[in-house]
Formats: sequence, C-alpha cells, structure tokens
Amino acid sequence: MAIRKTQQPTPTPSSPQQPPALRDAYVLGGNRIPFARAGGKYTGASNQDMFTAALEGLVARYGLQGERLGEVVGGAVLKHSRDFNLVRESVLGSSLSPQTPAFDLQQACATGLEAVVTVSNKIRLGQIESGVAGGSDTVSDAPIAVSEGLRKALLKASHAKTLGARLKAFASVRPGDLAPSTPSTGEPRTGLSMGEHQAITTAAWGITREAQDEVALNSHLNLAAAWQAGFFDDLVTPFRGLTQDQNMRADSSAEKLASLKPVFGKHLTPSAPTHGAAAGGDAGPAQPVGPTMTAGNSTPLTDGASVVLLGSREWAAEHDLPVLARVVDAESAAVDYVHGHEGLLMAPAHAVPRLLARNGLTLEDFDVYEIHEAFASTVLTTLAAWEDDDYCRTELGLDGALGSIDRSRLNVNGSSLAAGHPFAATGGRIVATAAKLVAQKASETGRPARALISICAAGGLGLAAIIESADDLSTTPAQSTES
Amino acid sequence: MTAATHETRNPRLVTLPSLPGLGGLYAKGVASSGRIAVTRSPVGRALPGTRDVVLPSVVYRVTDVPTSGVTEHLTDYQRLIGERVCDTLPAGYLHVLAFPLATALMVRGDFPLPLLGLVHVSNAVSVHRPVQVGDVLEVRATAQDLRAHRRGVQVDLVTEVSTGGELAYRGVSTYLAKGFGLPSGERAADEAPPQRIDEAPREEFVPPVPTARWELGSGVGRAYGAISGDRNPIHTSALGAKAFGFPRTIAHGMYTAARALAEVGAARGDAYDWTVEFEKPVLLPGTVQVAITRAPDDGAHPGTDAGFTYVGWNGKSGKRHFSGTVTPR
Repeated sequence: MAIRKTQQPTPTPSSPQQPPALRDAYVLGGNRIPFARAGGKYTGASNQDMFTAALEGLVARYGLQGERLGEVVGGAVLKHSRDFNLVRESVLGSSLSPQTPAFDLQQACATGLEAVVTVSNKIRLGQIESGVAGGSDTVSDAPIAVSEGLRKALLKASHAKTLGARLKAFASVRPGDLAPSTPSTGEPRTGLSMGEHQAITTAAWGITREAQDEVALNSHLNLAAAWQAGFFDDLVTPFRGLTQDQNMRADSSAEKLASLKPVFGKHLTPSAPTHGAAAGGDAGPAQPVGPTMTAGNSTPLTDGASVVLLGSREWAAEHDLPVLARVVDAESAAVDYVHGHEGLLMAPAHAVPRLLARNGLTLEDFDVYEIHEAFASTVLTTLAAWEDDDYCRTELGLDGALGSIDRSRLNVNGSSLAAGHPFAATGGRIVATAAKLVAQKASETGRPARALISICAAGGLGLAAIIESADDLSTTPAQSTES
Repeated sequence: MTAATHETRNPRLVTLPSLPGLGGLYAKGVASSGRIAVTRSPVGRALPGTRDVVLPSVVYRVTDVPTSGVTEHLTDYQRLIGERVCDTLPAGYLHVLAFPLATALMVRGDFPLPLLGLVHVSNAVSVHRPVQVGDVLEVRATAQDLRAHRRGVQVDLVTEVSTGGELAYRGVSTYLAKGFGLPSGERAADEAPPQRIDEAPREEFVPPVPTARWELGSGVGRAYGAISGDRNPIHTSALGAKAFGFPRTIAHGMYTAARALAEVGAARGDAYDWTVEFEKPVLLPGTVQVAITRAPDDGAHPGTDAGFTYVGWNGKSGKRHFSGTVTPR
C-alpha cells in the first residue's frame, strides 16, 4: 500500500509507454449523506459542504486519507457561479491528498451517473487508476441571482470609468429590478415545469393514478426495508443529525397516497391517450384521463450528496479493497420535446435499446433494474413504451416491442420517490446501490448478476448504464464487452 | 373588390431622407385620429368624405438605411423575444424596423382611417433571404386593398426591405377599423352574408396539448414598446388601455407572434414564411398556453418541410389569443 502522506512525488514514467488496451473499471464502493427534505436538516449547508461530507465519509470508510486519486469528478445542478471549482474545492477540504485533481461536470439529473461514466472511461483507457464520481444538490441553499435589469446596471457600473457614468448606470434601475431571480424547475425553452411536461406524457400513455401510487408505495416500503436490513450501513454517513433519508415514509399506505390531490396536469384539457394499450385496441375506446400526478407520486425537492469510488482491478488489489461491480457500458440519448414530439423525460426509453443492442443483451437479461423515479409515471411510461409494438417500431426503429421486465426486480431497495432526489446526487446513490445489489446477488447465487440503470434528465436528456457483478478475480481485465 | 384598390395601381414613389421616428408620428396620429373620430360615421355608413374614400396612392421609400449600428438594439430585441443573439435580423425585427415608415403613411392627412383604434388583425411575412447586421437596406411602405369587413373596414400595410437591389423581406400587416364603412359597403353586405365578406366562420377552438407556457409580466408591453417604438397607450399604460376599453394593458400582438417565431428555432431556416392571426388580446400580466408543433405532413409535397403551426390561448377561458404558421421557404 502506498505511504499516505500529504505530499507525494508524482512519478513520471521514465520511458514512453504503449497506450494500454482497454481494461475494466470497477465500482469499489460508495457513500452518501442521508437525503434531506428541502428546508429541512441541511438548511444552510452548501453544495460544497455536502459534497465534502460525502467524500470524507468515503475516505474514512476506505482508508483513503492522504491518497492521491486519479481524479474526482462531480457536479451540482443548482450551482452558484462562485462554485466554479466545486469538486476541486471539496477535495481540498477533504483528507485526500491535495494533489488529487478534480473537475466539475453537469448533465442535469444525469450528472452523477455521467460522472461515473466519465471516471470509469478514464480508468478503462488507462489514463487513471482510481477516481471518485459524484454529485451534490441543495434546494435549501440554492443560488439566487439578481434581476436582469439590476445585473445589467451592476455590470455597466463596474465597467464605468467615472462616478457620473456609474451613477447613470444605477439610475436605470427600476424598483421591480430589486426583486431577486430565483432558480425555477421550468424548462428554459418551454416554460413548463418538469411535472407539467410529465403530466402530458402521463396522459398520452394513459397511466392511471392507481398504478403511479403503487410505484410510490413500493418505493417507500422497499427503501424502508433496505434501511431496516442494514443495506445502507456501509453506503451512508450521517450528516447534521440526519441518519436516514428524511423523506422516507415507512408507514405510507395506498389509502394515504390516494387521499392526495393532483398537483400537475390540472390545466390540461382531458384527452384520450395516444400511446400504448390505453390508447384503445382490445381494451376498447380510450377514455380521457384527468390529472393523476400528486405530491405522493412525484419526487420532492431534496438536499444531499453522493460519491462512488471507482478503480482498476490492480489498484483495488494494491489497496486491499473489494470490487463490487464492473462498469460495462453506457449510452446517452436526447429527445425532441420542445415541440411536443416526444415526452421531456422519455430519453432513457431511447438510450436503453441502443445500449442493449451494442452489448448483445435483451431487456430480460438483468437481475436488477434501477429506473430513476423522477415521477412514478416516468417509470411507468418508460416501461409502457418498451412494451408498445407500434412505438418501438416508429420511434425507436426496432422490429417490435423491446419487451417487459420482471417488476419484482425493479428498484428493489427503493428509489427517488422515497429517498428524495437531490438532482446531481441521484446517480451516485443509484450506482452504489446497484453495485452492492449485483455483488450480493452474485455471491448468493454463485452466478454473475447484472443491473440496468436508467436516469432521465431535464432538457430531454437520458442516460443508461449497465453494471455487472465483479465475479472472479482470475478474470482477465481486458475482456471485451461484446459477446 | 372596391374602388380603393384600383387607386394604388400606379402609386407615386416618395423618397424620405430617413426612417421617421415613431414617437413624433404617434403624436401626429393622435391628432389626426381625433379629427377623424369627430367626423366618423356609424357602421354601414360611408367614411368621412365619402367621395374620396381612397388610400393615398403613394409608396414611401427610404434608401441607404444603414444597419451597422443596430447591434445593441438588436441584442435587446433578441433577448426580449427569445431569439438567438446573432447578426441576422429576424423577421420580427425587420417588422419593427419598417413599422415607422408604414406608420408615417397612416398618419398622413389623406389616410382615411385613424391610427389609434386600428386593430392589428393579422400579419403575413415572407423572408426571402437573411438580412445581416451591416447590410444597407432600402425600405418601402404602402397601403393597399381597403375592403369591407363585417365589423368595419380592413386595410393592408405592406412593407418591403431590400438589400443589394433584391427583395429580402415583405410584410403585410392587416388592420381593422371598427365601425367604419365603405360607400360600397352596404352593397357588399347585401350581396353576401356579412361573415363571408372577409372571413369564414371560425370553427370551435379546442385547446391542443400545450408545448409551452408563457408567463407574461405586467412590464412586457412597456418593454416591447420601448424596443419596437410602438408605445400605443393600450400596451404601456393602464389608463390608456382603459380608455380603449381594456381592463388592463395588453401585450403587443407582434410580440407574441415574434416569440412563437423565435421558439420554432433554427428549423425555420434562413428563408421562411411567417403568418399570424390575432384574436383575443393577451391581458397583462397574464399566462398564455402555447402549442408550437410541426405541421402534419399532408403528403401533397413529399420531401418538403411542412413547417410549424402555433397557437396561443387562455388556459382558463379556453379562448384563442393568436394562431399562425412558420414555414421554411
């Protein structure tokens, strides 16, 4: 094991090296802080505070004090401009070696998973041996900007060379300009909130209120059971007095969920579903669907941070660390939602078939499915899309329906509806959970286990990934993913 | 149609030294509108001075209009409308640029309708080729096709922008003067049911699935007024709006149409047709439900882009504010 001191020489190879063939990148572990409801326990904690807390927990758990890692990559969706080096600053505030490089990236709700993909790709290319991927988001400490009018005046004044010019710049400020500009969940190009966009998709697919409430209830019960079973004991570090996810309702019930009033889609003209089984066919003429999306089957605004430790097999062995899962492959997608051709959150429906095809897999070939619950109906519209022959032909270019999944393998330890969804932190939560699940599954059954991860994101984006249990240490690292 | 159209067959070309400023024109428009209002006759009757109900047979022209200095103003326009900030003048900006010349026609003493109180009912623009910052323009404006409408009379104000001697932009703005008639109006009304004079009966509007929502603040009228120069009091002042029978200020129709054009985005191409019909005004502040969708391909012209249709409506009342098309040429 390397000597852990703050300053380490950064060795340079003495002779040119051949770029190594692709090798595998592994998930070695993960850590997050419990997710808090907006305005809850983490009020006043910044993205940097939370990212550092998650990172410090990881360092402590895996004995990485003073370690110079290859790279730490992460981001935040609601990010202040002063946090231009959010992740590097978090590294400097952690016990990792200050010689650990870092950078920020951002892909809306896919930020955390994209960070995992990026770090594992660097490892696969042999550019780094180890890395951390993660994300942090806070609604309670969200940046607030000044209005456009005040911003223009301030910029003009700061560029002014004389007092008179500065005064003139400020004279243009109107009282209305003093109101701050707060971040919104609206899509910049449409002005519709994510919930309103999803309400349109939900209605188009005829997803019922009952089906959504069932997904939400399972999320809470599964998450609570996983906490109860100690699943998160080595994945979560308490923060600010919070030891479990604050949003989780172990006592939730179908009746309680059914009592909530719809919050999204209230202003939509009820119309018949245009997609899927609900659009007619054998079930008879389609019925108009009213609003179905409530606060119970939609994800609440939340604060939190998560990180994932990744490394090559050799690096893990050198550091006496177990390997949980191999990062197999990933695929991103984007859809044309601006003019209503496709639902805002439907991109993963497009990413997954391409990912499966490249890896010679079918939708049924997975032991674990982690489909991010932005809304209960996001999960259901994605599954409905894959089961719809016509949609898969016309929109996905497939020969027919992609298939169905065994619902008992879906989000088995809960997902965002129960845990909450601090945007950039969700990817790390899901990857760590899925990696531990496939490792457990493989050790139980003695057979390799595989997980499919799918995350939708603002801007019509989606990212999907496959991870697989890291079974046998004798496996050659450069094995091709194509079968 | 009417005698008025024939009068514009050989119009006189009048070259003005520069594009007039709108502020002064509005002052003149208020004065002449007052004068016309005093002598205005009721619906179905003739316009004042019935023997001379003709449009001024004149084309206003300004040559060598520079655009090298518009960058800051153009940027303000692009930011307000949601256009991409770049050096191409979008169609809505060209409308704004040419609007004072059309207004100058409408405030002439011999223009038969009052500027204030004219209702902008529709607009049709063709962009033949892009106009760039730095291009030197020739701008023309004329009024034509004075015609009867069941609620008054309509007139088209046509503006053209050319660069390098070639037409780049042509805009037709149709205005309605409520409560005015033509000498031939009664006859036209007798010959055909009123609604068939100029418009088919409107079908019942069923709001489609929205693709966007606009939250328009109370300052939108003032902001577009400041940039476009169209400071008609119905857009900028609550009292002014009340004077014309509106409970609050209303958004400029061209602001809403230009915003829809902007939100079509790059798919409209460099050359495009852009139309709009205005219905219920948008009261400010207000929320507009909007659907901007690719026009269904009717199969009539395979391989061509059918473009986009757009519509804006009030989510509560279900009343349509505006609708139109954006079609690549």
